[in-house]
Amino acid sequence: MGLESVLSIGERLQRLLTEADREAEVKVAEAQRRAEEMLSKARVDAERRRTMAQRGYGIEELLNEAEEKAKAEAKKSMKDYKAKAEALKEVTEEKIAEAVTLVLQEVLPR
Amino acid sequence: MSTTPLELETQLIERTIKQRNELLTRAGESAEKILKAAEEEVERIGAESERQILSLVGSELRAVRDRIVGGAELEGRKMMMLSRQELLSKVFDAARERLAEVAEGKDKSSDYEDILVKLIIETVTAIGGEEFIVSANEKDLAYLKKNLKKVNEQVSDALGEGDLKLDDEPIDVIGGVVIRNSDGTKTFHNTLEGRLVNVRSRIEAQVGKTLGVI
Repeated sequence: MGLESVLSIGERLQRLLTEADREAEVKVAEAQRRAEEMLSKARVDAERRRTMAQRGYGIEELLNEAEEKAKAEAKKSMKDYKAKAEALKEVTEEKIAEAVTLVLQEVLPR
Repeated sequence: MSTTPLELETQLIERTIKQRNELLTRAGESAEKILKAAEEEVERIGAESERQILSLVGSELRAVRDRIVGGAELEGRKMMMLSRQELLSKVFDAARERLAEVAEGKDKSSDYEDILVKLIIETVTAIGGEEFIVSANEKDLAYLKKNLKKVNEQVSDALGEGDLKLDDEPIDVIGGVVIRNSDGTKTFHNTLEGRLVNVRSRIEAQVGKTLGVI
């Protein structure tokens, strides 16, 4: 294998690099194309939803979601109130006797 | 030692392949970066869009929440109020029973006859004048009839004057008196149950605090 052969290989390797360069460019360009496509779709979608909301359409999902969230909040709130109401029933007899004494002191003349 | 053409060729191939791989790796990284930035931007657009929509329909969403959560809050507060009232009623019912025991002389810690005289003095003081007609329950009327002279003296001692007469018709009360002046223009109810009602409206909050429920 002589010097000519090495040169010939050099040319082929250079071609390989040129092709790789092209392949890299294609890869980046494809990513850019996909990115632009994603952004364009997101913008169009956002604009469409905003316009629909402005006209009062398509907000059922949001309202349903708000309703479900509120129902869960209401349920928790009721549970808390029930627990507090139950706790009121656990006042000790001593406390009740103390309160009765206070009432009698106020009712009876001194 | 000199390099043979074969070795030279091998080195050249290895270097070139390395270069190629680096080139493609860099391109892959760039592409990944571009897509990641795009994904982030898509997310930002989506969030901004949600924010705008929420601001557009915010009042409707708030109305939904207010209706449901507000309703539950109202019901819960009502439930609490009823429980609290139930407890307060328990206290005031017990107090009424104790008052009945006091009036019947069953409560050894109280001197009901003294209480009755104090109630009479308090009442005639509020009415003013000299002559009074006293109404009371059967038991108290019997006591007052029996001790009218003494009670009149106690009233006179306290007020300087005062002439009590008794209404023969007993009234249905647990204790205390209803007194009117002789011409019937002024009547003062000073019964134990009446006082209990007044006290309830006045110190309910204080009783609640004593019970630890307010």
